[in-house]
Amino acid sequence: MIGLLSATVSFGALLYLAALGELITEKSGILNLGVEGMMAIGAVTGFMVALETNNPWIAFLAAIVATAVFALLHGLFTVVLGAEQVVSGLSLTILGVGLAAFLGKGAVGRPPGAVLAPVDWGPLSDIPWVGTIFFSQSPVVYFAVLAGIAVSLLLTHTSVGLALRGAGESASTVDAAGYSVTAIRLAAVAFGGAMAGASGAYLTLSLTPQWAEGLTAGRGWIAVALVIFGAWRPGRAAVGAILFGGLLALKTRLQTFGVDLSPILLSMLPYLLTIAVLIVISIRARNRPSAAPAALGQAYRREER
Amino acid sequence: MTRLVLVRREQVLKGGQPLAFLIGLVFAMLIGVVLLLISGHDPLAIYGRMVEASLGSPRAWSITLNRAVPLGLAGLAVAVAGSMGLWNIGAEGQILAGAMMAAWVARLGEGWASPLLITAMLVAAVVGGALLASGPAVARAQIGVNEIITTLMLNEVALRLLQWLIHGSWKDPESRGFPLAPMLPDEARLPGLFERAHWGAVIALGVIALFGLVASRTAWGYELRVAGSSGATARYAGISLKRKITTVLILSGGIAGLAGGIELSGNADRITEGISAGYGFAGIIVAALALLRPSGVAAVALLFGAVQVGGLSIQTMGVSSSVSTILQAFILFGAIGAGVFSRYAVRRVNNDKTSSES
Repeated sequence: MIGLLSATVSFGALLYLAALGELITEKSGILNLGVEGMMAIGAVTGFMVALETNNPWIAFLAAIVATAVFALLHGLFTVVLGAEQVVSGLSLTILGVGLAAFLGKGAVGRPPGAVLAPVDWGPLSDIPWVGTIFFSQSPVVYFAVLAGIAVSLLLTHTSVGLALRGAGESASTVDAAGYSVTAIRLAAVAFGGAMAGASGAYLTLSLTPQWAEGLTAGRGWIAVALVIFGAWRPGRAAVGAILFGGLLALKTRLQTFGVDLSPILLSMLPYLLTIAVLIVISIRARNRPSAAPAALGQAYRREER
Repeated sequence: MTRLVLVRREQVLKGGQPLAFLIGLVFAMLIGVVLLLISGHDPLAIYGRMVEASLGSPRAWSITLNRAVPLGLAGLAVAVAGSMGLWNIGAEGQILAGAMMAAWVARLGEGWASPLLITAMLVAAVVGGALLASGPAVARAQIGVNEIITTLMLNEVALRLLQWLIHGSWKDPESRGFPLAPMLPDEARLPGLFERAHWGAVIALGVIALFGLVASRTAWGYELRVAGSSGATARYAGISLKRKITTVLILSGGIAGLAGGIELSGNADRITEGISAGYGFAGIIVAALALLRPSGVAAVALLFGAVQVGGLSIQTMGVSSSVSTILQAFILFGAIGAGVFSRYAVRRVNNDKTSSES
């Protein structure tokens, strides 16, 4: 049971990191369906750099930077050139998964060069249950919690957050207020990449820690789902992350609890729940403003304002 | 200070898209050369093998053709939805749904005559894909639920349904515990055309041509284009948007489902969770490169088929088959980049004081 709850927190953080990045990207008006590919790039970069340097922190940072740069490919095409966001994002997924498989071919099956060791909180870690579940986690988990609080504050309490939300609601208004919509959106896309990279690196530097082709196994799609499940709010997304993380953790442990339910069917739940939430959001949107950013998916061309 | 801006051309450059596609192809191949050199391979030898394996002989052509069938149908599925401004990102799941239904019929129809069994399988495949798309279709038409997300989510649901079947009630008792469905009977196999090619190519080409004709020559196709370009105009003209959205998305799902049925009956020994090698996602790229035109879909699908067959062939040279995946993505990115310039011209703009400070 402790193992299940501890894994729930780990998987929840994994999903939450990538979802936070996608949330910021979507808030700025850009839909990036490349999360799955970005996670793969982060995972392979982290693992390979750890093999070279034996330093988990350099590897973690390298994964974040490399994936942010990789995400800017989507930024270049959608923000600067105004290409279809759906097409560009899916291509980013296809490219990321392919590139990761290509680059990581020599690393398959090798032991990790370094791992991010769990943080030792001293006496806190020794508390029964709570210590194991919350205070023996990888540093990435605490990073995810801090990132969630930071993103939440940024969105609601800063002018940068206001401009970011504006870019996703009414780009021309933000433009008229003197901000560069292009710069805001590019930064948001890069942030989305950085967070997906962190999530991917968490897999190969801590959770798994190995590299194999197809390691991300659709978790990037769950992160995309999580943004919608959380109705584009960091707090609600955190609740969703724990829920979906719990489902991922439960999947491998069902038999041990003697429950006669196929773990495969259970793993459908995040997607079905997300569809259900989206339907509720859409029905509510008839009477009041939708939870989704109004300009999500639309290119902005200043000259055609 | 001067800066560069994109200005929309009065008229789209003629022949721009084939040219953009070509530029994308060259761009992708150049990136491929760099990647191969970095990883210590000989690009010329590898590209040579890819061309040889995919286009170098009648046998190679037949394999490429088989590969182009699901790509073309998935591309058409995306294009059909796209003709109304809708995105069907669920072709991957609909292919699986189609394959599952076809496999189910093959189980029921043991001992049926081959033409009957194959027809029933393909019809069931269409129904399977259409069924999976019907939820997003109705939700979009009636409540306005974003079809991009619902179709995307159902991909994962369909994949898990298939895994559940293969690990559970469909598991072959003779597979010694491996999660494998039983082999298909010989009656369920699509007849051959030449070498390895099967009749799927004829069916796919027929479906693509049929939709091309219906879209360009019938009132229904005309209404589709009107509804796709302007919802308001369509309402004034008395076209029911709700019904159009529902029909088009379900039709799109049915076409993708057919791809799954053909793939099972034509190419596979049995249904596996890898029955669709990412065809649904590649189909989106195919449709985008073809600018949603049926004739373009067929051409791009053939080329992507060749790239994929070539990619598989270089595994024996110690190169990851993901080279072909990388090439496909960069063809698209290169073509999008080039395509922008057929619609927009680059102009130098002077940001003098009058415009920036007034």
